[in-house]
Amino acid sequence: MVISLPVIFLALLCLSVLSGLLLLYPKVPLSFVQFHVGVTLLSPLVALIALVTSTETVIYGPWRFDSLSWLLALFVLTIGFIVQRYSVRYLLGEHSYRKYFALLTITTSADAAVWLSNDLRLLLVCWGITLLGLTLLIALNKEWVVARNASKQSGLHFALGWLFLLGAFIWVTQATGQWQLSTVLSESSLSQLDSWEKTGINLLLILAVIIPAAQWPFQRWLLDSVVAPTPVSAVMHAGLVNAGGIILTRFSPIFSGDIAQIILLLLSSVSVIIGTGIMLVHVDYKRQLVGSTIAQMGFMLIQCALGAYLAAIIHAVLHGLFKSTLFLQSGSVLHHSAEKPSRKNKPTSILWSITGGIFGLLVAIGLWMSSTQEDYQLISALILGWSVSIAWTQLVVFGSGRIGRIAGFVLFIGAAIIYSFVHDAFYSVLQEIIPKGIQTPGPVATLLLAIILVGSIVGVWLARHRSSTMYVRIYLWLVRLGEPQHDLIESHPKYLIQRFVRGGHLR
Amino acid sequence: MKMLQESTLYIEKNTDILEVDINALVKCASHVIVPLGPLDTFAARNPWVGLEGQSFEQTARRLKDTCEVDMYPNHSMFQSAIDHGEIRQDFIEKGIQEWLNSQAFELPRERAEQFCRAAILQDDQYPSDIENLELKSVAKKLTNFTNYIIKSLSIKTYSQSLEQLGKANAAQVLNSHMIKWCKLFLDKSQAVWLMPHREEGFYHAWRKLVQHDSSLSRKVRTQLSELPIDAEGALKKVLIELGVSNSDIQEYLEAHFLALPGWAGMMLWRSQQSEEEASLLLDYLAVRVSMEWAFVKPYLPLPENRNEKVNLEPLIAAWTEWGNMPIDGWLKLSSAEIKKHLILAYRFDKIVRNRILLEAWEKTYEEHLKKMITSQQNNIVIPDVKPALAQFVFCIDVRSEPFRRKLEKAGDFETHGTAGFFGLPIETCELGSNHTHNSLPVMFNPQYKVKEIAKESKPFEQRNQVVSSLGNTFKTMKHNLFSSLVLPEISGPWLSLQTLARSFMPRSTGRTISKMLNTWVQKPSTELSLDKQQLSDSELPIGFSNNEKVHFVRQALKMMGLTNQFAPLVVICGHGSHSTNNPYNSALDCGACGGKSSGFNARVLAALCNLPNVRESLASEGIIIPKDTVFVAAEHITTLNELQWLYVPELSDKAKESFKQVQDVLPMVSEEVNAERIPQLPNLKSHLKNAKGEAQRLSEDWSEVRPEWGLARNAAFIIGGRHLTQDCNLDGRVFLNNYNWKKDKDGAILANIIAGPAIVTQWINLQYYASTVAPHYYGSGNKTTQTITAGHGVMQGNASDLLSGLPFQSVMKSDEEAYHEPLRLLVVIQAPTSYVKRVLEQNHVFHQKVKNGWIRLASIDTEGSWVSWY
Ligand SMILES: [Zn+2]
Repeated sequence: MVISLPVIFLALLCLSVLSGLLLLYPKVPLSFVQFHVGVTLLSPLVALIALVTSTETVIYGPWRFDSLSWLLALFVLTIGFIVQRYSVRYLLGEHSYRKYFALLTITTSADAAVWLSNDLRLLLVCWGITLLGLTLLIALNKEWVVARNASKQSGLHFALGWLFLLGAFIWVTQATGQWQLSTVLSESSLSQLDSWEKTGINLLLILAVIIPAAQWPFQRWLLDSVVAPTPVSAVMHAGLVNAGGIILTRFSPIFSGDIAQIILLLLSSVSVIIGTGIMLVHVDYKRQLVGSTIAQMGFMLIQCALGAYLAAIIHAVLHGLFKSTLFLQSGSVLHHSAEKPSRKNKPTSILWSITGGIFGLLVAIGLWMSSTQEDYQLISALILGWSVSIAWTQLVVFGSGRIGRIAGFVLFIGAAIIYSFVHDAFYSVLQEIIPKGIQTPGPVATLLLAIILVGSIVGVWLARHRSSTMYVRIYLWLVRLGEPQHDLIESHPKYLIQRFVRGGHLR
Repeated sequence: MKMLQESTLYIEKNTDILEVDINALVKCASHVIVPLGPLDTFAARNPWVGLEGQSFEQTARRLKDTCEVDMYPNHSMFQSAIDHGEIRQDFIEKGIQEWLNSQAFELPRERAEQFCRAAILQDDQYPSDIENLELKSVAKKLTNFTNYIIKSLSIKTYSQSLEQLGKANAAQVLNSHMIKWCKLFLDKSQAVWLMPHREEGFYHAWRKLVQHDSSLSRKVRTQLSELPIDAEGALKKVLIELGVSNSDIQEYLEAHFLALPGWAGMMLWRSQQSEEEASLLLDYLAVRVSMEWAFVKPYLPLPENRNEKVNLEPLIAAWTEWGNMPIDGWLKLSSAEIKKHLILAYRFDKIVRNRILLEAWEKTYEEHLKKMITSQQNNIVIPDVKPALAQFVFCIDVRSEPFRRKLEKAGDFETHGTAGFFGLPIETCELGSNHTHNSLPVMFNPQYKVKEIAKESKPFEQRNQVVSSLGNTFKTMKHNLFSSLVLPEISGPWLSLQTLARSFMPRSTGRTISKMLNTWVQKPSTELSLDKQQLSDSELPIGFSNNEKVHFVRQALKMMGLTNQFAPLVVICGHGSHSTNNPYNSALDCGACGGKSSGFNARVLAALCNLPNVRESLASEGIIIPKDTVFVAAEHITTLNELQWLYVPELSDKAKESFKQVQDVLPMVSEEVNAERIPQLPNLKSHLKNAKGEAQRLSEDWSEVRPEWGLARNAAFIIGGRHLTQDCNLDGRVFLNNYNWKKDKDGAILANIIAGPAIVTQWINLQYYASTVAPHYYGSGNKTTQTITAGHGVMQGNASDLLSGLPFQSVMKSDEEAYHEPLRLLVVIQAPTSYVKRVLEQNHVFHQKVKNGWIRLASIDTEGSWVSWY
């Protein structure tokens, strides 16, 4: 049973790619798409069964099946299924309809295979296919000059990131003489590496992960790829950008305890601030989402840098589901914004607000005390406490009347229960397989806290001094960071007319 | 009624520009754009409403020249219409003959005809194959003749000219800067950090910010920081520096408006909303032209290019290919003949050819409609004296037609058509909301306010608040640096649950969620504030006085032609649509109610009609509503083709009986309509078993881009009795307004219909037309690559103009197949010729529309014969 699950899984994965390719054949009726989408559901189902039933690590040829790889395969393929299911109607009538499904299936299957690879060469090939597939998906409307330019730009970024990864892998295998992930990362082979070699490999790894994660200074491609159709953005933000966290988790034996961690920490803290800034000043919904992704990926990499790999994986998965949902329902934003919040009982509730603050603080202290008191736990406790206080204020304090407050309270408790339930579930599945990071040097966490605190204090100060030149400069700088380049803007999408003229027939 | 506006301001050539009334100039120039309101109250607008002073063809020429926008359908649309027999060959032939007659060429007629016939269906403007040496040498010998054919070009912006000269991509850069500034300024609090200084107005804010904008070069920033402090001064200064001559200013400003008509349109809309922002358009131009000046300054002065000599080679090639004239044949002709040949080929250009084809298409449709209606007239049965069981009043909307047709077949029911706001100029406010909506056609302003009220509304409001507080909490946490980092972990599980449910069960998930919300919110039964309360002079009065109630009921009944023989049950039907995750869902709602459901207005009218004192007053005027007649209100859900009750007061015995009968047939009616309508939507399945289920899925599926076809394929507006069209299958393409000229001696009702509903329908028609022929410019582009911006509207891709019309998917079956047929609206009036003449004399705006080809007019006179009025 344990052996056969990987076989079944790989066979089904191949089957879904095959049925995707079959779609490209024009004689296959278009309604085959529905069948195809059904087929793509099978492999994640197997992954789910495997995740629930098997706990041990299985090396099967060049593949490696453990609960982390099962989880990631399940996650990527589920996102792939959701997006394909969505696109059946959403893209109906597009002239690249068939090509889209084929490409998307190949991309997500390759992406799942990346996390199952035990052989570094296989990993590189699969990762390359994933990146290539996404580049082509961005250029799906290939008559549209803007989409072509954006695809070119993303492609260049991806290629660079891939080359860095290649460099890191070659270095590591040259030094250890191994291509197998499981043996490369064993203690005996790692001991062959000098510490400068380790740092070199780590720096290459960092470069390889921050490019797909759109971290500063490589955030451009993600901002400009908003031209892609909505489902493609959903896949990109859910399944590709978070690859960095997973790679670092896999390579944590090399990465942990190295000076490179601090470099990563700095880069990603800057990205958190920039990403949040872009989200705060921009007014296009999709651009705000991109800003938020940059910040979230920054946070995920911070978690890695602090050695909290398990937290990073949880964050990557939940953020992926979160962001893809927000993209897919981006057509509903207008109706949400129609009703403005009314803050009727604001003045009466100063006392309540204070209780919110105190409550948040208590939660933070409680979490910190009950944790293993690592660096990351401190930050996590503070952030959670802060969020608790905001949620409490919004839901309970601003609740309208008795009904409002009671309902707000129930919602609050419900969210808290679900939150801890989900985290417990993740912990119980992954605890064994994910390495615990080595404690980072003390000042690192303090440094990080200082950066984020200063960032948010500056933010609050600026928001209160809107007419100061400082605000104007920072505002415009953030606007510029988030704005697309001129050759990625077309005032009117002329390709629509050209396509129509070429296509030809009415009804 | 609006008067015709003067659309060009004449300026003496030697007037000092500093004395020119620049505000008046901006106002005149703004007739090339239309106001563009927020997308959540999408109301159809005719994008060419300010250009109707010129003919359709002239406007098409101008737009083609200034911004490369085609106003005629393209070749492939014509070709497939011909393939489907929708354009009759004899009408094309007739078009060619008429055109030749109007031109008075002295060429042998046969030769000219032959040329035109061969040219008319060509895709290209002229044959593209001109790389022939012989042809080139002949063209060289004929160079003298270029003096006879001079093309005058319209004025372009300097950045456009610069781009055409290939010196810099100034227009693209200018546009992207303008997009950025406009969206930041117009933002409806989507951003948390607002644009600084924006309360000081667009120009002021921009002037203060632009000096710090690092995306501009230092030199440009310094230049811009030295601009005058006021917009007017700045605009004048840069116009002088650019050297735009006085007589050209207006056209030059118009070209600037046409570069980004959406953002400019939003500015225009805002400037109409409040006094303080009245000069927003001037600000917009000051910003735009100032930036243009800064960008093109290094290249000034640009070579002037107002007239262009026509290239002869394509004309000669055209004669070779389409006129069977050998190339060396030119040298044997006399110079007069050469000139005639060249001029014919030059004048019979793509636009003329397209006009002839479009007119032939429209005539073919008219012929089809005429046949259907007139063939039926012979077997009209004299209406029964027995009054119907129930009467239904529907909106004129084209989607009412199939429903009415099936409903009439299902029982002894009578249906009427009238504009969906029912003549009530009201602003509405729903229970628990402080948001008001102008529920009337966009060209009018509300005069009354009607609120939905309930006795005990506090618990409802609190529960409602809980729902919105969830969204607010989410937003607040998202916008905070710390909490935004854990937000995905907190809300992720909930969102993924929803996503999975919507993926696996799109239909039931949506229904379950809305059912759960309704159960939670428990909306109490509500009433309407119909009695007059004047709160203050500045605000609209709430409700109506007694006289006003009588007035509006009388007017509404007269407009719908329902003043006698009342059935025991009269159902006033508004309509609305249901769709999910669709930014364009208001485009599917009632066009006469400013892009919302007309259910509210239906309720107001039904409630007014039931008031005893209103009925008494009406009875004294001869409109006698029987005591047991009850008015009820319902909403026609166009996505589901269902009728849902909105307001049913206590019914009389007779009305109860009717109501029961109606209830009995409704499921069958909606099933039949669904069976007719749903298969027209693109589908992967070849045949549909459960049309009702499919309709429900369409309305609930979050991935659906075509929840219904809306008003696509609309083509005609029939003003007349229902008996004209009773047995015709009009295929959901026709607006139907009841009208009986015998009850309208002084023509007041007809004048009202022409001034209100006819304009609304024309605007809807041209909105669909424009979105089909120019989806990138007047449409909203592809739905899949849109991004919602500034809480107002959508852009394509990374950034673009604010898009104004319908998305590509609303008029196209697929990327390559159109669904909507771009035809200009045919208005058919059933009335004596003298009535039509009178209305044309009285209503200049309408007359101009007919004369200039923006609408087509036909009438059916007392003998039942068809008259075409153009
Ligand atoms: Zn309507």
